[in-house]
Amino acid sequence: MTTETGIKSSLKEFITRKEVPVIVIVLALLTYLFASRGVPIILTIFIDFAVFAIITMSLNLETGYAGVPQFGRVAAVIAGAFAVGAIPGRILAWFMDLPYGLEYASDAVNFRIVPEINALLASSWLLSIGFLLFSLIIAAISGALIGWIISRPAIRLKEAYLGISLLAFGDFLMWVGHNWSGMVGGSVPIYVPDPFRIFAVDRFTVIVLVIFVAAFMVFIYMNRLARSPFGRSMRMIRDNDISAAAAGIDVVKVRTQSLVIGSAVAAIAGGLYVIYTGTCTAFGFQKLTWTFWPWAFMMLGGIGSTLGVLLGVFLLTILRTMIVIFRHQWFGFLLNIGIDPLWLEFTLLGAVIIGVILFMPHGLVPEKVEPMLPKSRVNKIIESRRLAKGE
Amino acid sequence: MAPWLASGLIYSSGLALTAGSITMIYITTRTFNFAVASMATFGFYISYTGVALYGGAPYQYYPFVFLFGSFLGLICYFGLNRHLLNRKAAEITLMMSTLGYDLLLLSFIQMYADFLTHAYRLFPRRVTMNVYDFELFGTRAAAFILPLVTVAILIILHLFLTRTKFGVAMRATIENPVLSKASGINSDSVYLVAWIIGGGMAALGGSFMAMAMTGTPVMGMYTIPLMFAGAILGGLGSLYGGMLGGFLIGITEYAGVFALSQQFGPWVQGYRMAIPLILMAATLIIFPRGLAGIPLGKLIGKLTATKRGENT
Repeated sequence: MTTETGIKSSLKEFITRKEVPVIVIVLALLTYLFASRGVPIILTIFIDFAVFAIITMSLNLETGYAGVPQFGRVAAVIAGAFAVGAIPGRILAWFMDLPYGLEYASDAVNFRIVPEINALLASSWLLSIGFLLFSLIIAAISGALIGWIISRPAIRLKEAYLGISLLAFGDFLMWVGHNWSGMVGGSVPIYVPDPFRIFAVDRFTVIVLVIFVAAFMVFIYMNRLARSPFGRSMRMIRDNDISAAAAGIDVVKVRTQSLVIGSAVAAIAGGLYVIYTGTCTAFGFQKLTWTFWPWAFMMLGGIGSTLGVLLGVFLLTILRTMIVIFRHQWFGFLLNIGIDPLWLEFTLLGAVIIGVILFMPHGLVPEKVEPMLPKSRVNKIIESRRLAKGE
Repeated sequence: MAPWLASGLIYSSGLALTAGSITMIYITTRTFNFAVASMATFGFYISYTGVALYGGAPYQYYPFVFLFGSFLGLICYFGLNRHLLNRKAAEITLMMSTLGYDLLLLSFIQMYADFLTHAYRLFPRRVTMNVYDFELFGTRAAAFILPLVTVAILIILHLFLTRTKFGVAMRATIENPVLSKASGINSDSVYLVAWIIGGGMAALGGSFMAMAMTGTPVMGMYTIPLMFAGAILGGLGSLYGGMLGGFLIGITEYAGVFALSQQFGPWVQGYRMAIPLILMAATLIIFPRGLAGIPLGKLIGKLTATKRGENT
């Protein structure tokens, strides 16, 4: 029935107006990245931005859309990170007749096995890509599983109780990883096989590209999800769960589903981060970094608006990295009384959260309630109905 | 007294106070106070600074600890909580605001620890407060003193809430804020007093807990789930329930770890956090409203008065 045909219309179907500026910005950033190749600060900012964008978008799905106070975001990230740290490397070790049991993670063995696996990965394109995809799938599955397990005792609770239970679970998972040295080495970091070894010098640039693509796909997915019937029922539950239940929505089921999907997405980010750093250690996953920073990003950007979340992550990541890098130049006076300016990172985090709550409760880009279909399409549907009726 | 019991009693007294503080602030202002974590750590650092710089026993600095905690609570109320309460903010917003405050305090704690290292050549990042304690009846004095102090605080609070005019007003505000406002009670001052008492209790609880565990700047950050577990176990309805919940969480953790490590070996130590969390999860599943939600009267009624058919 449409008058437009071909690629243009299908592209129009696929990409909505809201996503166009994001695509343009992402392309511009990537161009800038390649122009300034090899500058570590910029690479760090880019990677932090992309990883935390994925995590914050998943947090936004659960908190912004479904209204679950997810104070245990770190649990899903840990699930992904541990899965990628523990499972794919072991499978390759098993194929290569290397030790793959509990001793894989012991610090006396691990540093000798992983280079051999890396050598194998560097020899074959297909194997590297397969390894990467397999790692991400494993991460997503374990994230979804953890999300489901967390949701079991807690999902029926009132909001604050739920938040505390999630927080406690995230902490508990970190301690398990820290104490069970057979999984990811406990207190000693283990090495993670590197599927990007094949790119040699360009490794970091390629990783940035991959994580960016992943973040962009998550962005598109979240936008689709927000406008789907599932997204609508999530928002309805968030706004009023009693009326949602009265309208026939299974509140517990939808909340559980949102937790499972969000956890799977966050776990992919965790897996990607572990592959990027090349090591995996339980103490690297503190709730300060992986739960509270994403909350600050989300609150600055605007709870419930995906675009705002991206903006929040972008601004704060730059600010945070700047503080870490230029702390001695900017805050050198603190060193005179023995204080490491690194702690200003937490000051910033706390100040952002307080400032946003007090002065900007809806964030930079407030959530906009908009019709599920553009007005022109609604009119078209009405028109076609009329024609069909023969009026 | 067995060492685990001594440490357990000290630790549980601290948890009881922090859980009581969380409950106190929650029942008056609907705020889940995250900042209890850093208030507790600050409390520990005040007592540590006292003994390390001026000597003596840690106990003599507890009044200052309480005062400092009250001061932190006061700042939180006037700077943050009051505006949000006036705005009728959602529970989650209130909770997030205290999280922000907690992170601010955490950064100040870290800076303070750096400052102590630099200015006084102390080692404030791993502190065992035990060494400043003295012996009493063959064990640490803290194992006797701290539970007694906790009970004393409980009694004082009980007297305050039931015997004084302000305490009664406070209870009225907790029961029904609208009605108590209508009858002329200034809810603003009730909230203020709740924050003052709550802050003091949190700081005191932190300095208690440091007598049983290693004091670090992130001590509160790591134990905050347990403090909340205690408050949730108590049902978040009554102050007494909260303190009892905290105490139970602490003592089960120590007793459980002791019993299990006798059975399975010392590796159990690493997973000690699981015990209170399982306890909390089980309570939440069986009695979603915590210990206060256990229908004791009904259960007893079932046992004694089944003939009268009251359980319908």
